[in-house]
Amino acid sequence: MKYNKYIPYLFILPWIIGLLSFTLGPLIFSCIMSFYDWPIVGKTNFIGLKNYIDMFQDPLFYNALKATFRYVLLYVPLNTIFALFCAILINPKFRLTSMFKVLFFLPTIVSGVAIAIVWSWIYDKEYGILNYFLSLLGISGINWLGDRKWSIVSLVIASLWTMGNTMLIFLAALKNVPIELYEAAYIDGATNWQRFLKITLPMISPSILFNLITTLISAFQVLTLALLLTGGGPARSSYVFAMYVYHNAFRYSQLGYAAANAWFMFIIIFILTMILFKTSNLWVYYEAES
Amino acid sequence: MASKEKRSLPKTLFSLLIFLLFITISSPQKITTIRFATWDTGELFQIEQAIAKNFEKLYPNIKVQVESYGDNFDQKLAASFGAKNPPDVMYMWDFPTYAESLLPLDDLIKNEKNINLNDYYPAVLNYCKYENKYYGLPVGFTSHVVYWNKDLFKRNNVQPPSPNWTWDELIDKAKKITNPSQKIYGFAFPISPDPYDFEQFLWSNGGRYCSLDGKEIEGYLNSKEMIETLALFTKMLREGIAVLTGTQQIQSGGDLFKAGKVGMLESGIWRLPEFQEAKLNFGVHILPAFKGKKVKSILNVSAISIAKDSKNIKEAWEFVKYYSYNKDAIKMRKGDLPTRKSVASEMGFLKDPYYQPFYKMVEASKDTVPSFNLNRNMRKVYDELAVTIEKIFSEQADENKIKEYLNELVTTCKRFLK
Repeated sequence: MKYNKYIPYLFILPWIIGLLSFTLGPLIFSCIMSFYDWPIVGKTNFIGLKNYIDMFQDPLFYNALKATFRYVLLYVPLNTIFALFCAILINPKFRLTSMFKVLFFLPTIVSGVAIAIVWSWIYDKEYGILNYFLSLLGISGINWLGDRKWSIVSLVIASLWTMGNTMLIFLAALKNVPIELYEAAYIDGATNWQRFLKITLPMISPSILFNLITTLISAFQVLTLALLLTGGGPARSSYVFAMYVYHNAFRYSQLGYAAANAWFMFIIIFILTMILFKTSNLWVYYEAES
Repeated sequence: MASKEKRSLPKTLFSLLIFLLFITISSPQKITTIRFATWDTGELFQIEQAIAKNFEKLYPNIKVQVESYGDNFDQKLAASFGAKNPPDVMYMWDFPTYAESLLPLDDLIKNEKNINLNDYYPAVLNYCKYENKYYGLPVGFTSHVVYWNKDLFKRNNVQPPSPNWTWDELIDKAKKITNPSQKIYGFAFPISPDPYDFEQFLWSNGGRYCSLDGKEIEGYLNSKEMIETLALFTKMLREGIAVLTGTQQIQSGGDLFKAGKVGMLESGIWRLPEFQEAKLNFGVHILPAFKGKKVKSILNVSAISIAKDSKNIKEAWEFVKYYSYNKDAIKMRKGDLPTRKSVASEMGFLKDPYYQPFYKMVEASKDTVPSFNLNRNMRKVYDELAVTIEKIFSEQADENKIKEYLNELVTTCKRFLK
């Protein structure tokens, strides 16, 4: 049978066309846009690096960075730990673990808008269920969405609810840890905690790295909850960077400036991801390489 | 074979000729379709469709396709301008953002014999101008008034508002009505008022947000008048005679008023139908003045505009004229007020105690120009101002704190207007 060496490329051509049209193309286009003054309606003109220079003098830029970093620093570790905790809970094969597997994963398939609406009721200062439970413990009502100190925390808690994807990755990794290791440790008299620390953690460390990176990237891009739960407030305490980009683009009609903002965020995420990768050599254990 | 061809050729040509003749005779006059974008949905949208149908009866060669853009009006409109495929005619209020894409109407208006511009309220017409050119014709408007609860007034032996009342009188009445144990307050206002609307209070105090050339906010946004105006509101909060409304965590002003928990509430025409439906015993009165100064109101004006790139400008202009000026069209509309003096008079609004204050306010606001219209980048300043006012109200800041926050605001926002 004659084999045309171009046939494989034909197979992946649809995907490549999609990549160019919907990912790479817009990516490059937005980079070009960032060097222009580009209103939604009207003339565009080339202004070189002015968008980037303006950005570093914009107080809203620093405001947005601060809010976003606060969110990331809270969310990334908490999400990872919480997802791992839930994965460990549903790992053993008890009767009810399948039910809990579904329950823990359910929030991920709920639309962000629905999540925001439900949580805005939960967080209500007077009638919310969260403050009700706190009052049973003797803690007076916290103004979750109306207090500058708590707005980011409220966003983090509502986001943690959708840790299902992270949890699944951990679950798969947990199931791949060879049982013999645990048995050998048990024979040698290791405690549960020691087994967790010395066997589980190192063996699933590649998935920890993966989850850290994906969680980091998505944390910097948080938008839906901030837009719908707090609107960036109060007093811009939860004005996350993606919201800053969104407002610059569609509210103030400055698409070029917004493109520059987005590319700056890309660079930040890129640098942090690289740092994570480089330092991972110190703590990630790849079984195949040993 | 040969004879057949010889016979059929003249026959075919003849029938072709008859066919062409038939087409040209029976083809109807060319119908132009124009697209009309509106931000309304539901009942208001149906009314607009009905107005369009009436227009089509008068102009059988023009068809109007009414498109409801709903909540995404700005995004859809901007996208359609960007794609060089805008609707021919659209609702409009935000002239600074869109003027570049709209057709200036001055020449069309000048050559138009059937429109008497003097029948529009001058203040409303002003809002349709940008950089001294008309970019739209008025469709509807509201001014702002104070709704007052007659039962609460009577119960506390408070006299109705005097014809040209002042803020001192309002505060005095609010004190008499306030009853903290029953959670009843004399006055209520939003914790984060729309800066666009809030400027009316600054105007009444003799100030404005920015210079008339739109370039300077130093000395305007942080002026003595601005500080005094904000301090007036926070003093009411600190004395407990007013309560904050709005946002998710706090009750809405309309609900509080309907529940009889608030003596007086400032708002536009939108509240009137719901208060009437709730069978409340209430009155409508003009806004209070600052002592010795003229009271002014903001106007929220809807206009109708034509896209500069429209391919059907003649037809679009016919529709714009009809929609804005035709008395039947104006009378069919709900949701806001007629912009023509003659129509307002015909509908009895100038004598009706519920509507008269709105018209008194629009007459008093003849020379007002919202700072929003003076600079394309004013929106950023307004957003920062909204955050600052929210901070000031939630902290019930005193004059010194207000001055500090406003000075910070001006420093931050100076760069936006360059």
